[in-house]
Amino acid sequence: MRFTITRQNLHQGLNAVSASLPSKTTLPVLSNILLETTADGVRISGTDLDVAVRIRVAVDVVEQGSLTAPGKKLQEITRELPEGPVEVSTRGEQIELRCGRSHFKLNGLPAADFPTLPDIPFDRGWTASGSNLLALIRHTAFAVSTEESRPVLNGVLWELRDREMRMVATNGHRLAKMTIPAGPSQETTTQLIVPPAALQHVQRLFNESDTVQVARGGNHLGFSAGGTEVYTRLIDGTYPNYEQVIPKDNDRFAVVERKGFESAVRRVAAVASEQTHRIRMKFEDGRVEFNVLTPDLGEAHDELEVSYTGEPLVIGFNANYLLEVLRYVGTQEVRLGFKAPERAATLEPVSGDGEAKRDYLCLVMPLRLVD
Amino acid sequence: MPRTIQILPDAVANQIAAGEVVERPAAVVKELVENSLDAGARTILVRIEQGGKRTIRVGDDGSGMGREDALLSLDRHATSKIRSAEDLRGVGTFGFRGEALPSIASVSRLSLDTCARGEVLGTRIQLRGGMIGSVEDVARTPGTTITVETLFFNAPARAKFLSSPTAESRAVSEAIIPLALAHPGVAFALESEGRSLLDLPPAADLVERVLQLWGEETAGKLIPILAQDGEITVRGVIQRPDATRPGFRRAHLFVGGRPFREAALLRAADRGYRTTIPEKNRPWLFLFIESPRGTVDVNVHPTKAEVRFRDRKAIEELVERGVRAALEVPESAATFEARPAPPVLRVAEPPPRRLSPAETTERQMALFLTRYGADAAAEGSGDEVGHQPGEGEEERGAPPRLWQVHHAWIVAEVRDGLLLIDQHAAHERILYERVIGRFEKGGEVSQRLLFPLTLRLTAAECAMVEDLKGLLQRMGFEVEGFGGDTVIVHGVPSPHPYFDSERCFREMIAELTVGSELTRAARNQHERLAKSFACKAAIKAGQALMAPEIQELFDQLFATELPYHDVHGRPTTVRLGLGELERRFGR
Repeated sequence: MRFTITRQNLHQGLNAVSASLPSKTTLPVLSNILLETTADGVRISGTDLDVAVRIRVAVDVVEQGSLTAPGKKLQEITRELPEGPVEVSTRGEQIELRCGRSHFKLNGLPAADFPTLPDIPFDRGWTASGSNLLALIRHTAFAVSTEESRPVLNGVLWELRDREMRMVATNGHRLAKMTIPAGPSQETTTQLIVPPAALQHVQRLFNESDTVQVARGGNHLGFSAGGTEVYTRLIDGTYPNYEQVIPKDNDRFAVVERKGFESAVRRVAAVASEQTHRIRMKFEDGRVEFNVLTPDLGEAHDELEVSYTGEPLVIGFNANYLLEVLRYVGTQEVRLGFKAPERAATLEPVSGDGEAKRDYLCLVMPLRLVD
Repeated sequence: MPRTIQILPDAVANQIAAGEVVERPAAVVKELVENSLDAGARTILVRIEQGGKRTIRVGDDGSGMGREDALLSLDRHATSKIRSAEDLRGVGTFGFRGEALPSIASVSRLSLDTCARGEVLGTRIQLRGGMIGSVEDVARTPGTTITVETLFFNAPARAKFLSSPTAESRAVSEAIIPLALAHPGVAFALESEGRSLLDLPPAADLVERVLQLWGEETAGKLIPILAQDGEITVRGVIQRPDATRPGFRRAHLFVGGRPFREAALLRAADRGYRTTIPEKNRPWLFLFIESPRGTVDVNVHPTKAEVRFRDRKAIEELVERGVRAALEVPESAATFEARPAPPVLRVAEPPPRRLSPAETTERQMALFLTRYGADAAAEGSGDEVGHQPGEGEEERGAPPRLWQVHHAWIVAEVRDGLLLIDQHAAHERILYERVIGRFEKGGEVSQRLLFPLTLRLTAAECAMVEDLKGLLQRMGFEVEGFGGDTVIVHGVPSPHPYFDSERCFREMIAELTVGSELTRAARNQHERLAKSFACKAAIKAGQALMAPEIQELFDQLFATELPYHDVHGRPTTVRLGLGELERRFGR
């Protein structure tokens, strides 16, 4: 294998790929990246077996070939190479880099040792605009579960509905759901459960302006735009029926000014238990009262003016869940809906002037003190 | 009708008394050594032959006796130790019944050499079967030597019941050990057929005596205990939890310096160890109880092996409390070195003298003065190396530097070295005490679930859940039966961000249903649940933690009652002292 590439292209390619390498592995080849020449350039790939990243760069290939080489080392070297063309070549299982007077040889492993990336038929997939895709990911992926006993909740549910894309994530304590009116028209709804690690790579590697090709191949999903590809394994299983748990009969609503509300939650939460982060709120006409009492630590009382309709209500929450959700809701005003102290609360954006309308809904389950 | 009841001659009465007091050579040794101690001896040498069956010789450098006293001492109920029945309450000396010497004399050939301090000429009295054969002058240094030969020569039935010389020698040794423990300042030696079985030079304190008897590995893993309630005090040293083993234990109890046996007190001490050691382990204990005059009756048993406390419950509670308190301090944590420096309880022994009851108490107290006494600082003893007062407080005050290693252990830098903490074990201790607190003081906060857990369980597990519903709720699990073999969990506790509620619940119910070593060791349902939950819910080894989480775990651990011990009886913490580090690097 022999080709010449600019230092910048090589370094960008290596940066994109090496983030997908596992930090610890028992398979030595996984800490390597795969370099392969193609008809019109070179492909650089890295994987941790769950997620793979592949970059295609157009270069002049002098001699075809392929080899794997230590990814982090190559990255460290190219970061510090002087600007200019880099000649990459292989001899046996060694890779050589030449750039000006710099000359490196690194031991690699045969390309055949590298895992085969899934075959994704991108021509039979669908497209999503980068901005839509990134917005969906940003607003939902935070809510995934880390519990091992329900693997489906470890992923983000991506639903392709008729001219609609939706992502949902939950850990059973809170849930985030966002819908964007875009996508192909189709009669049935496709459900994909995507590991959040893959979505992080999508966020990292694609831009708002990209048009991202997405396709499914067997149990894998691929994302592709501008020569960059992300592959991921899909999570098996049936996602729980989230529609069923979204309350339809909430009849007590508060509209709060987000910044002020967040700030109040944050300051009373300073006195909350480090373990449960529990705060209590009492909503009644025109106001919400905050109460926190933590034995051994102290107590907090606070009050805010809010618009509230419905019967007065006392309800407890994990302050961290509330704060997290409020941050993603993002609008100046947020609408909270309740039914009862043991039932799910809804949080939705209230679009003000100049704020885009979003179909976004978060649920937070309350904390209860059982005596 | 002829008179059939007669007063027995003294010789026969003594033989009968001997049956109670003197049943084997070890008992003879015990009585004679106690006499020596009562006489203020500083050195006591015991020589036996044939396990004491042929010869027992106990020599001391005590106060000795004049001729008249010596003769009188061989009469029954002749004693220098008490004067009236009034004196019996609060006896401070070992002997007082005045039975021992005549009883021993009545079943052996006994010779008594004694010389009172300040006199030049001593007395030798020889007896055969309790009858005085000769009384003559003898030259010797102050003190008393009693030689007992051919024990039970006139009581063949009893002689037959003696064991082998080896077994009898061992019994003699075991009779001396408690006395040696109670009197670390006195030198003891035991020789059998010219071979040394015990060689105990004067020791500075109890710990050094333990070291002489059982070596550094035992002595280094002892922790001091002190508990006080009104006028009752319990002091001593007990085994560090990580050093305890199942099977044989050394448990020596003393009241007013007098060894005694009391299974109930040992059980109380074991209760104090609860959760810090595996249930089968038997910690070694050396406990000295001081109880004011009149609250303890030692005159229950001729050999005084048993005593009666007026308020035994109070003493049991004190022992349990003392043990528990001793396990709260950093010294109770496991250490890196196999033979750590023994705890320091040094004090100079008072000069040799005859002790009054009150003085005995004082002397026992003095054993621990440098460790605990108010005037310890005033004495300015420079050898308090092993003791860091308030170490725990310091750990809480200025946060130590913490690192997680191998996603399983936390290394903390503390003033005198390093603490290595097992993250899972530490979290178990935290959760255990938290759940117990929830049972006592109101329930845990429950996180309601969007998707309630629907769990299929075995019939036995379902029944268990039904039984425990109330308690589970107080732990934060809101459970309801769904009929048949299904239960629904609507709410769960959230002990930490990596908590897997379904797995925890399933494993806990399975363990409670089937039972395990852990749950069987629990005293009641609350403990059983708390232990099982703590074990299943605690952060696992392999869980990477962020810096604030490490700090939080550390802070919470040291806010618990027993931070150094988990709930399985394993350590949460191993100390690596700077001293040990320096030693290993040859500094």
